[in-house]
Amino acid sequence: MNDRTPAAPPVLGVRDVTVRFAGLTALDGVSFTVVPGSVHALIGPNGAGKSTCFNVLSGLCRPAAGTVTLGGTELTRLAPHRIAALGVARTFQNIVTTQGTVADNLMLGRHALSRAGFAASALRLPRAVREQREHLDRVREIAGLTGLGQHLGSPVALLSYGDRKRVELARALCLEPRVLLLDEPVAGMNAAERARMAEVIGDLRAELGLSIVLVEHDMGLVMRLADDVTVLDFGRPIAHGTPDEVRQDPEVLRAYLGADVQAEDAA
Amino acid sequence: MSDRLLDGLTSRRAGIALLAVTLCLPPFYLDAFWLRIGLFSMAAAIGAVGLALLTGTAGQLSLGHAFFLAVGAYGYVWLAGEPGPGLPPGLAALLAVLLAGAAGGLFSPVAGRVRGIYLGIATLALVFLGHHVLLTADSVTGGFNGRSVPPLTLGGFTFGAGDPELTVLGVPFGAEERLWFLGLALFAFTWFTARGLLRGRPGRALAALRDSETAAGVMGVDVARHRSAAFVVSSLYAGLAGVLLALAFRRVVPDYFSLALSVDYLAMIVIGGLGSVAGATAGAVFVTALPLLMTRYADQLPLVTAPGSAEGFVGPTEAARYLYGAAIVLVLLYAPDGLHGIVRRARDRVRLRRPRTPGTDPVTSPPQPAAAARSKEHTP
Ligand SMILES: Nc1ncnc2c1ncn2[C@@H]1O[C@H](COP(=O)(O)OP(=O)(O)OP(=O)(O)O)[C@@H](O)[C@H]1O
Ligand SMILES: [Mg+2]
Repeated sequence: MNDRTPAAPPVLGVRDVTVRFAGLTALDGVSFTVVPGSVHALIGPNGAGKSTCFNVLSGLCRPAAGTVTLGGTELTRLAPHRIAALGVARTFQNIVTTQGTVADNLMLGRHALSRAGFAASALRLPRAVREQREHLDRVREIAGLTGLGQHLGSPVALLSYGDRKRVELARALCLEPRVLLLDEPVAGMNAAERARMAEVIGDLRAELGLSIVLVEHDMGLVMRLADDVTVLDFGRPIAHGTPDEVRQDPEVLRAYLGADVQAEDAA
Repeated sequence: MSDRLLDGLTSRRAGIALLAVTLCLPPFYLDAFWLRIGLFSMAAAIGAVGLALLTGTAGQLSLGHAFFLAVGAYGYVWLAGEPGPGLPPGLAALLAVLLAGAAGGLFSPVAGRVRGIYLGIATLALVFLGHHVLLTADSVTGGFNGRSVPPLTLGGFTFGAGDPELTVLGVPFGAEERLWFLGLALFAFTWFTARGLLRGRPGRALAALRDSETAAGVMGVDVARHRSAAFVVSSLYAGLAGVLLALAFRRVVPDYFSLALSVDYLAMIVIGGLGSVAGATAGAVFVTALPLLMTRYADQLPLVTAPGSAEGFVGPTEAARYLYGAAIVLVLLYAPDGLHGIVRRARDRVRLRRPRTPGTDPVTSPPQPAAAARSKEHTP
């Protein structure tokens, strides 16, 4: 069932991607490469174009120029569901879950990995029933991994904000992704929830060996988890490097981290 | 498996068996009037389940359900009748259902492009178009006067009066009695398949479309394909309902398949609770049986005119419409998830009082729309 090979995920390459919205250039020649198995952070001030970049990666937004490749496959012209089937999963900045229970949401994540069509499900053919049961088992495992085990039967609408964020993460994991895109996974969480989420993300990377692209305003989290950092400002990439390199980059300090870093240093 | 769970399963089986037996009893005790109410209710329930899948689960507003019902009804009459190919009625019924599905498939490119209220208006056009064709294509549809419906015959057994004469347990089985069992079988089929769909992979994908096409796409759901599929499946059920309605009426006329019929079906799924099979069934029984009962008992109801008398204010059919209009307003105001939601909440309350059964399967709950009105799309 887990038919994707556990081998290293393919390289995700972003080349000169430009996105324009009626006069506004949201992304302007953005390039970066996500090394297989690494955590690549994408940071920048509000409106820098981070979420737009995720929309390009997941096929929700067509760039005016540039390409995105996963291994040898170009993603730029593919529909979102095809990109999902290639093993690219994402979460949203503002939670986007569907109604129903946590299990319903997670089972939706198994959509691309299961086969049962309309006829097979309507007639409840044995193979459809069996498939559903097998995927449900895997969903239980993933729920356990993300600390949602006891919430499987609860309606998502009744969960706390932090739990709903985790549902989104778990749903993305249900795709058995090779590349995971996380858009502000700890935004709006309290300190305890943040620490918990950071731990989960760290574990994922260690246990599942997937590539993670992380958008996050919480610099502590970025510095702790990321291997590489790309900094965007008004859609332009202004710096690349390891967290330490980026932290010292004068352009970054001026454009974005400036006040924070100086305040931290002073403290 | 725990004993508790096994007990649960056996009591569930027993419940279903009891229900099945109960539903088989009416032909032995009730007269044709009640059987006809049951028959029309079953046909309406099949159609309503189709609309519930499309509008309730997949979130695509359709005012065109009457059109697909008409395709099923007239498809059967033409395919089995004279003028027409005169096919064996069983085959004609099957083909009529497929024809309705194909009509849904033909419309689905439109459904793939327009959304929400605009889709509702596009489907409205179908009803007007269909009505016009039914009136003008005389050679196929019989025009204004419609056509009489050939009875369904399966393996030498006619679902009509006589041929062969049949008496079961001292009760002579005429058309109504026979059709009752046909309707019951088709309704059971609908119930089984629709619930299988809703609880399986396609149902989750359709519900995801309704809640957020963006999220559905990113989770691997082929949005365009599933939008079309919802239309096809819904039209298949509508076609089946159309065939059964035709058999029950014994004559099809264009005026029945008007916009008012589409609205009736929307009323059924709103009253019952969007997106649930049981809810659609309850709503269908309510909306179908009410006018028939009010006509029958008009002389005993205040303010309602008995047929053929001049007293009272409104005719029974209009009075029924006022009543279910009021029911819709009440449902939307106080219980947006309809009869189904009311029952579910009552059941949850009972369950809360008792200790929870361990090992209940969390996925077997079909996707529940919580409210009739909801925000449609999120921007990522
Ligand atoms: N669909 C759209 N139509 C028009 N403009 C858009 C659209 N989506 C994003 N933008 C604009 O593009 C710019 C980049 O937005 P984006 O959401 O990518 O920023 P972000 O880096 O994710 O910011 P934040 O940290 O606040 O989430 C913003 O100025 C935004 O207003
Ligand atoms: Mg953003």
